[in-house]
Amino acid sequence: MQENTIKPVKNQVKVQQIRHLSESVYVLRFDRNGLSFEAGQHVILGLASKNNGREYSVYSGEQDDFFEVLIKEVQEGDISRKLRKVQPGDLLEMDGPLGFFTLDPDQVLTKKFVFIATGTGIAPFSSFVKSVPGLDYKILHGVRFGHEAIERENYDAARFHLCTSGDGSGDFHGRVTDYLTTNPADKNSEYYLCGNVKMIHQAFDILKEKGISSDQMHAEVYF
Amino acid sequence: MKYHLITLGCYMNISDSERVRTIIESQTGYEWTDNEAEANLVGILACSVRQKAINKVYSRITKWNKWKHKKSLVTFISGCILPNDMEKFLKLFDIVFRMSELEKLPEMLRHYGVVTPASLFSDLDSMPKNQSIDTFWKITPHYSSNFEAFVPIQNGCDKFCTFCAVPYTRGREVSRPSDEIVEEVKSLVGQGYKTITLLGQNVNSYGLDKKGEEIGFPDLLRRIGEMGNSIEKEFWVYFTSPHPRDMTDEVIEVISQYPCLAKQIHLPLQSGDDKVLITMNRKHSLEKYREIVHAVRRIIPEATLFTDIIVGFAGETDEQFENSRKAITEFNYNMAYIAQYSPRPGAAASRWDDDIPAEVKKARYHLITEDLRKESLACNQKMVGKTCRLLVVGHDRKEGYLSGLTEGKLIVRFASENEDLFGGFVDVKITSASDFSMEGELETYQVFKTCEVLGIKETLQV
Repeated sequence: MQENTIKPVKNQVKVQQIRHLSESVYVLRFDRNGLSFEAGQHVILGLASKNNGREYSVYSGEQDDFFEVLIKEVQEGDISRKLRKVQPGDLLEMDGPLGFFTLDPDQVLTKKFVFIATGTGIAPFSSFVKSVPGLDYKILHGVRFGHEAIERENYDAARFHLCTSGDGSGDFHGRVTDYLTTNPADKNSEYYLCGNVKMIHQAFDILKEKGISSDQMHAEVYF
Repeated sequence: MKYHLITLGCYMNISDSERVRTIIESQTGYEWTDNEAEANLVGILACSVRQKAINKVYSRITKWNKWKHKKSLVTFISGCILPNDMEKFLKLFDIVFRMSELEKLPEMLRHYGVVTPASLFSDLDSMPKNQSIDTFWKITPHYSSNFEAFVPIQNGCDKFCTFCAVPYTRGREVSRPSDEIVEEVKSLVGQGYKTITLLGQNVNSYGLDKKGEEIGFPDLLRRIGEMGNSIEKEFWVYFTSPHPRDMTDEVIEVISQYPCLAKQIHLPLQSGDDKVLITMNRKHSLEKYREIVHAVRRIIPEATLFTDIIVGFAGETDEQFENSRKAITEFNYNMAYIAQYSPRPGAAASRWDDDIPAEVKKARYHLITEDLRKESLACNQKMVGKTCRLLVVGHDRKEGYLSGLTEGKLIVRFASENEDLFGGFVDVKITSASDFSMEGELETYQVFKTCEVLGIKETLQV
């Protein structure tokens, strides 16, 4: 991990590319322009000159020469619908990087990590994996159907476990919380949880029950 | 020409208002009046963090705009304001500015009537910028008390707790230069101030935004402590508010080492339940908080402990609330500022259902206040028979009594009507304890303040 010398940045960023991964999930890529961030952080992204903005975790790696966020369009979400319509060259307003959902530099090379995500909650874990070669990790990614998997080819296949609740096309048929319930939990790992609050609270209880301390659990709630 | 200023919100706004008064009085010729009806210039330092405070702004500006039909009146607004509120205020007030633009206020007033649109001067981005905050801090404040002072050490917040709008009203954390802070504290001590509170939204993350260029919070405290050791005056330095995530043993150890660093810790908990802490985005566990409290008890056993608790946060179950009650008992707080949750426009949690009924919030508030009452009483009872040094802050509600605060900010009343004691230290023997206060008998006192105000250097000790 790079040293935490991040300067808060509030500026306009230029859209370089929009990559549609499914009907509702897309990636916005921006010119990096020297922007420094720590894997796991997020930015607040909105349309230029508007008093709006929503938090999105950084999806790309610290060493990439571009900067990406992963967005799910939600019907009630005004910003995510508008951002989906942006074109390369458009300017957006960004505040950040922000947040503390990051890896402890002292643990990166000595600890094992279990990353548990639902939906676009996989974004910070994508950034972790891209930023830290040799990271000893396991990912549990929960989606409803197998086709909703998000660029799983970016991960070591042996470390990636797609949990599908709506069909049997994943590596595990059920929610990530079902996976946690039916599988042993390594007491020496650090657990990172990212996604909807219901999943995080349930996973927290299950892991606590299995002897994982609250200090081993790190959570980023998506709303 | 007279002006009147209304300050809403927290200590940060109060501290900001002291600098606003300096600029108005030193650069515009307006004189202060307590009576807003006779003012020609009226302003508000607003607080978007609470909806009630914003409602007060609308009520005031409606009244002021009616007054404009009868007399010449200029209105302005600044403070802790969300971008959306800022846009609305542009249509209602003559002058709208961010606090970091305070130095431009005289210029805005001079131009008012020639070129009126407030937006001409204000660069009102959707997120507040803090580039000019350094200039703001250099303004000498018009302190509102002559024995208690607030010194800002930081502006903004990077923590983004989901119940709070401050990151959206004040922008990112910016630390004030330590040399300036130490100088201001030193100057205040020289003027006879007895309590000085270092202010910031997350005081103990001081310096993190300027890593390598600025010292961190423990070293800032150390510098102030050393300065205190070099001056033969008694004063107490407090800080508020720290965030548990950035609280280290080093901070606690430094406090223990210097007499002028008050032995009082205000450590906001907000909830005693791990899952609620997650939902609040506090980014620390109850266990981490517990470790900090243990360190405080180990390193500074005499320290008093205060906290903030929110009851009825969105989704808070009965069980989760019970965990907050347990925390009150476990951590033996002397005082807690308990709030019934209400959504703050702009904060992330304002987008969720405020699903705990008002009557449930109220019931939880009363239950946990009762728990706190017992803890506070037990702490106060242990003080009976001991002699405490107090800073006398004013008349008590009980006739014939004055009120003072111990170094740990515990309230003590004692029989006296000697107003010369205001702003000075006295020693009081505690004779009885009640829920949130104590009563004592005056033993000795020093009339520091009166002597200094009169220009007399000697200290009168009785």
